[in-house]
This record gives sequence, structure tokens and C-alpha cells, in this order.
Amino acid sequence: MARAKVLLVDDEVEFASTLSERLNIRGYDTKAVYSADAVLNKVRSDIPDVVILDLKMPGANGLDILKAIKQFNPSIEVILLTGHGSEQCTAESESGGAFDYMMKPVEIDSLTEKIEMALGKKQK
Amino acid sequence: MLKADRPRGMIDRLRRKVVSWSIMPAPTGPTEDVLSKDRYKSLRVRIFFLICTLAGIPIVVITVISYGWLQSALKEDFDNQLKGSVESTRQSIEFFIEERISALRFLASDNSFGQLSDKKYLNEIFVNFKREFGELVDLGMINSEGVQLTYSGPYDLRGKNYTNQYWFNAAAARGVYVSDVFMGYRKIPHFAIAVKKELPEKGTFCILRATIDMATLNRYISTVNLKSKDDAFIINQDGILQTTSRFHGNILEKINIEIPPTKGTVSLNEIRQAGRAPFIFGLTTIKNSPWIIAVTVNSTAQTKLFDLLTSDMDAIYLALVLLVLGIIANMKIAATVVNWIRDAEQEREEAIVQTHHTGRLASIGRLAAGVAHEINNPLAIINEKAGLMKDLMLMSNEPPDKEKFLGLIKAISDSVNRCRTITHRLLGFARRMDVQHEEIDLNDTIGEVIEFLDKEVLYRNIKLETHLQEDLPRIISDKGQLQQVFLNIINNAIDAVPDGGVIAVSTEVKDRERVRVSIMDNGQGIPKDTIKNIFEPFYTTKGKGKGTGLGLSISYGIIQRLGGDISVESEVGEGSTFYVELPIRAVGQ
Repeated sequence: MARAKVLLVDDEVEFASTLSERLNIRGYDTKAVYSADAVLNKVRSDIPDVVILDLKMPGANGLDILKAIKQFNPSIEVILLTGHGSEQCTAESESGGAFDYMMKPVEIDSLTEKIEMALGKKQK
Repeated sequence: MLKADRPRGMIDRLRRKVVSWSIMPAPTGPTEDVLSKDRYKSLRVRIFFLICTLAGIPIVVITVISYGWLQSALKEDFDNQLKGSVESTRQSIEFFIEERISALRFLASDNSFGQLSDKKYLNEIFVNFKREFGELVDLGMINSEGVQLTYSGPYDLRGKNYTNQYWFNAAAARGVYVSDVFMGYRKIPHFAIAVKKELPEKGTFCILRATIDMATLNRYISTVNLKSKDDAFIINQDGILQTTSRFHGNILEKINIEIPPTKGTVSLNEIRQAGRAPFIFGLTTIKNSPWIIAVTVNSTAQTKLFDLLTSDMDAIYLALVLLVLGIIANMKIAATVVNWIRDAEQEREEAIVQTHHTGRLASIGRLAAGVAHEINNPLAIINEKAGLMKDLMLMSNEPPDKEKFLGLIKAISDSVNRCRTITHRLLGFARRMDVQHEEIDLNDTIGEVIEFLDKEVLYRNIKLETHLQEDLPRIISDKGQLQQVFLNIINNAIDAVPDGGVIAVSTEVKDRERVRVSIMDNGQGIPKDTIKNIFEPFYTTKGKGKGTGLGLSISYGIIQRLGGDISVESEVGEGSTFYVELPIRAVGQ
């Protein structure tokens, strides 16, 4: 069975690279990108099953990236991840089609649980 | 440029209080100057005078109009009364003269020249005449040559020639003549009535002449209804007194009043003479005589009105009581209104305190959100690095890859350092809130504020430029409060600009005593009709829940307290620039 493809998007290189490694250990085919500009190219070239997306990155709004991913391929599930959130962000992420919303720092088990749920939804 | 107005009135004082509360640990209740007893006392006095003025103006207007109407009515009534009285006297005198002229005419027509030439017959007529009209002095018949042919009376005037006398010629010409008053032989004032009788012989006539005592006319004159200071008398056309006057001279003396032209009905003239009060001079001519009835009345309509008002003491007492009651009522109203204002101000003040507290919480919330984001990122790194170490340890029974573990531990240490930097900066910022005046480097102060906003600026791709003058003098001021002001203004600028916008913060020396901080943005700008309100408390153009409307108001108060000025210039669509001018030396130093 093919491993689920997870794309991790965060400008914090140390965070994204380590989390990517941990997810790989847990059996996911995880890639990490560190800037908003690279996200869509990566998505087009190697369509992921799940994207874990930082909401705030320099020069880019995570919600805009979310909309662009969903516009490109609505079947890609996106889990938003950020250092802080607000009710407004939650509402906007839901309306933008995100699968869920998680706060940093996140427990790896909670994250993998969410990824599995997202994959389950995708298979339906 | 809109210059923030100097504090004025209640709003500004409240605003200053809002600012002072903002730097106090906890609001301490009503402020002294806004809710002071002296201020309410002054307000009560002003309201009292305002009510008195508002109530007094219509009363004064009505009083003046009523006074005018009453005076006019009184004058008309007064004139009518005087005219009526003089007219009545004139009619009586005219009747008196007419009656005597008629009697003489009857004697002249009913008796022949021969009978009238008979002394005995004339004596009988004289006696009858005197019995009928008691004031008769003498009676004589003069022929056309002017010689008195017969005479009845106290003197021996038979044969006296009157050819050259004015009265004889006037009577011959007019048919009847009434003379001026003259004293005669007995030095008693009297006048003469002469009636002409035409005789059958062509060109001949005789004249019947009666002399009448003036005492009767004096009695008539005394019937004019006058007061003790007024006077009534008879004068001739030249102003010579024909009867004795109480105040204007003796009989046959000329009065000291210019005679205005008069004819027929009674005319009233107000006479003003130097050295005496104005008086009314009433005149009317007496028909068939050379005389004029004259009255002088010292009371005018004004004095009448005064007399009328002062004569009714009950009305005066009532007016005084009403005045006192009105004043008491006004004082009560003023006190009630001031109480209402005080209650409303206290409620407003409590609302301001509450809203300000909410505003502080909102500011803290915004700061907390930023700090949480800043700290959560390194925490997430620590979490992942530690997690990976755990994963590696659990995955293999072999000793861990030392180099890899050292790398992970270094990353954890670096993240801890990131957190420490943030918490130390936050503590430093908070500690400044307690410091009052100190010597500060304004450029450093601004730099510390900008550090807080770095991430937000970065995420929104905003270009935040600084043009800080290198040799800017250090100033004596309150660093914590200045940071609060700059944080407010730069936060507003961040909200105002679009993503990718530009904010420029610059410092410069304005003059020998002041430095200036300019915060420019290329945001949406502030419309002209709202720019005047931006320093008012609770005024906000941000959406509901996004702004308390207190930021600029608090900033304004802080800068005012620090002896500086805050102003703004803005153009819609081009952006805004806030200028904060600060004294180099602290206020009072």
C-alpha cells in the first residue's frame, strides 16, 4: 500500500524539517517547503493527500494559500497550524475549506490522528 | 495640518482624567476637578442667571410694551379730562358774556334813543340790570360823536368824550365790543361791553356801554378742576393776565410763556423751560372776547403713571413677593438641573472607566496574541526536537547518534534563547510603565516599540522604514508612556495600510527646545470631516470589536501631560502623518 503523501508548509525551517522527519518515521511520505512561493509549485508537481499549512508566513496569508490549493484540487485536505489563532481565523479557515485547525506546539499523536481523519475523509 | 485643540471644557478634562487613569494601577473614583463642588456651584450660579435672563427678557419686553400702552391711555384720559374741564369753563364764560351782550342788545333795541337819553329812565334800567346781573358797575349811553349823554353808576362821567378811545371806534365799527380788563378809577379789575344802536337819522347811532366787575370771571376760572401745583387764568392775545395767576404773575402783567397759536378747541402743549420741570400749557379762545383761557398743569402722563403705581402699595408688595418667589424658584430649578448634570456626569465617568478598562484588556489581548505567536513557534521547535529525540531513542536499542542528538539539543537551546529574548523584552516593556521621568534616548525607545511589531509587519509584507536622526539629543520624559503612544500610533498605521504598504518613522530636532517624531503611512487616510474627532474619546473608524476609540485619546492626553503636542495631517487615498513633538527638558524643569 502506498504511503500517504503529506506536505508540510512553514517558514520555521527547524520546526518544519523536524516535524517532517517525525512524520516520515510514522510512515508518512512527508515533504517540507519553507516559503509560500514554493507551495503551489510543489502541490502541482507532486500532489499531496494532506497539507499541513502554517497560517502566518512572511509576505503571505495562509488563508490565501489554502484557497489556492482548494481551487487547484479540492480533494487535498489541509490542516492549518499556527502559533496563535483567533475566532476570526477559525471561521475563515472553515469557510476556506480547511479540514481542521491546530495550535503550535502540537502533540505528534494529535497531529497524526488528524492526518488519519483527513485521509479517511478523502477516501470516502 | 490639524492641530489637536488645547484641553477645553468638560470633554477635555474628562479626557485628561482618562489618560491619568490609564497610567494608574487602578481607577481611584471621581476626579476632583471635573466633579468638584466649586465647579457645580459655578454651574448653578450660571444656570440661575441664565434662567433669570430667559425669564426676565419677556417680562421686561411685556412691561415696556404695557408701560407704553398704559402711558398712552393715561395721556389720552388725562388730556380728555383737562380738555373737558377747560371746555366747560370756556362755555360758562362764553355764556356769561353772550348773556350780557344779549341783554344790552335787548335794551338798545327795545328802548328809543329818547328813552335812553333820559337819565331817570336809564337809572331804572341800571337798577333792574344790576338786580338781574349783580356784577354790573355802571351803564352809559354815548352818542355817535362819542359824548356820553347819560350815565348811571358811581362816578360822574356824563358828558365825557370817548371819540378817541379804541373801544368806542371798535364798537362803532363791529356793532359789539368786549374790552380787555382794566383797573378804572376804583382800581378794581373790570371790563366793558359796548353795543351799538343804529338811529333812524342816517349815519347816526348811539352805544350802550356796561362795565362789569371781573370777580365773576374769577369764579368761573376757579371751577377748572386742578391740583394745588396747577394754575388756571385768563390772558389776552398778547399774554397779558386778565385774571390773577397763582404762579405766573398779577393781573395786567405779561406771563413768561410764549403763546402758541390757538383757535376754537382746547389745545394742549408740553412746555419745557430751563430750570423747571416740563408742564402742560392748555389754551382755548373765548368767543366774542379778546380772551384766552389758559391752564398750566405740572403733572404729565408719566408722573400720572408713577403716581398711579406708587399709590397702590399692595400691588408693589405683591410684585416684590412674586419677585422673591421667582428668584427662589429659579435657584431651586438651577440646583435641580445641576444635580441632573452631576448624576449624568457621574454615570458617564463610570462608563468611561469601564470602557477604558475594556480598552486596556483589548490592548493586553492584542499584545498577548503577538507574544503567544512569538513564543509558540520556538516552543513548537523544542517540542518537535525533543519528540524526535524520543522517537529515535524508542526506535532503536543502539546508543543514539551523538552528533544528531547534539544538533537537536542545540536547536532546543536556541529556541529557549528565543523565548528568553521575548520574555525579557516583554518584562522590560512592562517595567517601564512604573518609571516616571528619566533621561531617555528617543531613537532607542522607538526601536524597542518597532521590535514588538516586527513580526506583524513581516507577515503583512509592510515596509517599516526608520529615519532616526543620529545626534538626536536625549530627552527627559516618561519612556513607558511614550512607548504606549508610539505603539498606539504605529499599530493604527499598520491597520491603515494595505499588505505591502509603507510606514516611515522619523525623528528630528525641531528647535532648541523640542524634538519631533513623525509617523507616516500610505494608508487610506482620514476624511476631513472625521479628522477633527480622532482625538475624542470613544471615536473610532475601525469596525465593531476592532477598536475601543481610546488609543489616540489616551495618546493625546499622555503627550499633553508630558508637555508636548500631537497633531495629524492626512489626505484620503494618500495616507496620514502623525507628529509628536516633545520637550527636550521635562515639563517644569
